[in-house]
Amino acid sequence: MADTTTRVLTLLEKGPAEQGRRTDEVVIGVSPAFGDFFSRTIVDLPHAEVLRELLAGVEEQGVHARVVRVRGSSDLAVIAHTAAKLSGSGIAIGVLSRGTTMIHQKDLVRLSNLELFPQAPLMDLETFRKVGRNAARYAKGESPQPVPSRNDYMARPRWQAKAALLHIKETEFVRAGAAPVELEVLIRMADAG
Amino acid sequence: MTLVVGVDIGNSTTEACAAEIGEDGLITYLAGALARTTGVKGTTENVAGVVEVVRDALAAAGRAPADLDTILINEATPVISGLAMETITETIITESTMIGHNPDTPGGAGLGVGTTVSLGELPGRAPGSPVICVVGAGVDYERAAGDINAATARGVPVTGAIVHGDDANLIANRLRRPIPVVDEVTLVEKVPLGMPAAVEVAEPGRTIRTLSNSYGIATVFQLDPEQTRMIAPVARALVGNRSAVVVRTPTGDITDRRIPAGSLTLIGETARRVVKVDAGAEEIMATLRGVRPLADAAGEPGTHVGGMFARVRDTMSELTAMPVGEVRIKDVLAVDTFVPQRVTGGLAGEFALENAVALAAMVRTSRGPMERLAARLRAELGVRVLIGGVEADMAVLGALTTPGVGRPVAILDLGGGSTDAAVTTARGQVESVHLAGAGDLVTSLIDSELGLENPGLAEEIKKFPLAKAESFFHIRMEDGTARFFDEPLPPDAFARVLVLTDTGMHPIPTRHTMEKIRQVRRAAKERVFVVNALRALEQVAPRGNVRQIGFVVVLGGSALDFEIPDMIAQAVAEFGIVSGTGNIRGTEGPRNAVATGLVAHYTAARTAEEPAHALG
Repeated sequence: MADTTTRVLTLLEKGPAEQGRRTDEVVIGVSPAFGDFFSRTIVDLPHAEVLRELLAGVEEQGVHARVVRVRGSSDLAVIAHTAAKLSGSGIAIGVLSRGTTMIHQKDLVRLSNLELFPQAPLMDLETFRKVGRNAARYAKGESPQPVPSRNDYMARPRWQAKAALLHIKETEFVRAGAAPVELEVLIRMADAG
Repeated sequence: MTLVVGVDIGNSTTEACAAEIGEDGLITYLAGALARTTGVKGTTENVAGVVEVVRDALAAAGRAPADLDTILINEATPVISGLAMETITETIITESTMIGHNPDTPGGAGLGVGTTVSLGELPGRAPGSPVICVVGAGVDYERAAGDINAATARGVPVTGAIVHGDDANLIANRLRRPIPVVDEVTLVEKVPLGMPAAVEVAEPGRTIRTLSNSYGIATVFQLDPEQTRMIAPVARALVGNRSAVVVRTPTGDITDRRIPAGSLTLIGETARRVVKVDAGAEEIMATLRGVRPLADAAGEPGTHVGGMFARVRDTMSELTAMPVGEVRIKDVLAVDTFVPQRVTGGLAGEFALENAVALAAMVRTSRGPMERLAARLRAELGVRVLIGGVEADMAVLGALTTPGVGRPVAILDLGGGSTDAAVTTARGQVESVHLAGAGDLVTSLIDSELGLENPGLAEEIKKFPLAKAESFFHIRMEDGTARFFDEPLPPDAFARVLVLTDTGMHPIPTRHTMEKIRQVRRAAKERVFVVNALRALEQVAPRGNVRQIGFVVVLGGSALDFEIPDMIAQAVAEFGIVSGTGNIRGTEGPRNAVATGLVAHYTAARTAEEPAHALG
């Protein structure tokens, strides 16, 4: 985390996302333009680092992670819930290009959630690691303490216009009715020399 | 026909019993009612609660307030209790000898022995002797794994790693040769470098075998018998851990120190003894038995115990307008407990369960300001108010209305602040005793032993059974049965241990398992209620022989608890006593005993008087 050599994210579509069978998995559902048209969150965190921390948080707990792209919506609840229904453990993380994140469970109603991180500008890499860790611990049937949710009253007035623009842009990439696809994640050093 | 209402003002609830007394002395019980006590028991602040409960009882009985002849209130014994907790041991690690926390996810498995070397010095290390790599804060896991792999390839055998972040599995998964990795060592920069050290990680679900064994450590570091004796406390401190690090420093040590916690002076009617609080509950209770009956007690000024006694005395002196110097502590209950405390000198925020002593003290005066209360009530309701009978005697009379109870009967009144007992002999004499320690002490034991710092939640854990939400549609109860739901549970309940309160399920925000919480809860109740029940019965029983009591009726708020009456029944079963929860008048359960007793007492007194009137 401290050594900030730029990492590059490549997401390869491997075909339709399938229903998981292993109970020790967490599915990470990304939004239509994540790591594609967009490569950074609203506060310029590279998507490569965001995904890397989420994956690391899951892996550290000894749980398997799978990444899918939900193409049919730019609504975080839909993305997270769709991913949860594909997850063998029923637990999924949904993440939007601008950084808004949610932990969801398949049996919950769509508009509910296990943990929600609504203020994208406050999401740092450490928080993403903790989100990955908590999702994995829910998958293991443990009772994690919710990740401390930060709140900044100035975030809304300060970032709302940018967030709205990013959302409109993301929504342009929505392909109505398109099924979620499985992604292969490659994270490389930019100057691989 | 005379309409009377008996009113019992308790510490937390005020209870009433409305009844009609016929000319022949026949009592017709009409209704009972219950309200919260307003203000501190035995003060004029109680009037509001009494008025409410009298109206409720009359309304429930379908009688007009105008028909009311007399209100009977009890001679409340003002009993005030106080609690204090004193930690009496502490664990100190010197020279960072060991790391004994339990990270969730240590990496790898096995035992690694070598010299501690920081990650930065790894490339400059000459091949040959084995090393333990210390990874500081902010180092990415890929870099750490890469550097360790490079060193191993160069012929520097890295046999284990100590890591700052939560990265153990991430590093271990990327190593070509697996090694044990202990992570989440928050003060990793304090790990002494260039010292022989051992890192051990056990497979999931197992505990370490080598570093928790004195001879294991002796083997690893080739210690002689004298050195092994020195290292024994370290091994003991690591028992039960899944991972551990031991560093061999010149004078490193771990000690278990007793903290001087002041002393307690117990003054009996004939003897006076001083006992150190850090001697533990058993010693304190043994000393207390030696001086009984207790006339007064004092704590050493400047200690928690001294502070608690001062607080109790002040409250009582305020209530009764008695000088502080004349307030006497009448009973003390000491309970051994443990408190999770941060280990001094620990590198990873280790917690150790330190011994502590919880103390409850009880003060009692002979007569509270009942006259003032009665006068105020008279003015408020415009009826005759009689102060009748001692609380314990009334409770016994009330308890006798429980179907199946006969003399000699003992009552156990399990309240919030004190445990009261009374026994009546076949000839009708009543012996009673008030003991310190009851529901509030149980709550505080649960709170501190689970490290909740939330007395409200501890109170709920005390009162209600537990369950674990295993999915959104079912919970697993304490006894192993599953309960299913059609509607999904609230999201905050998912995967958590829950208390099933009467207002819904409340998640317990700790990492304790359901079994652990249950065990703490039951142990706290055993140590307070069962101990006090036996202590109380012993003191009121004829010639101290509990077997002489035929029936024990459990009363009071804590008698409604879902497990305490069973625990007490089990504890007294060996004495051949019938014990159970009271059922006053066959309808009220363990409530309303004193209020009912007041009516019975008044009726008995009246019928005894009337022939005399007739003659005169």
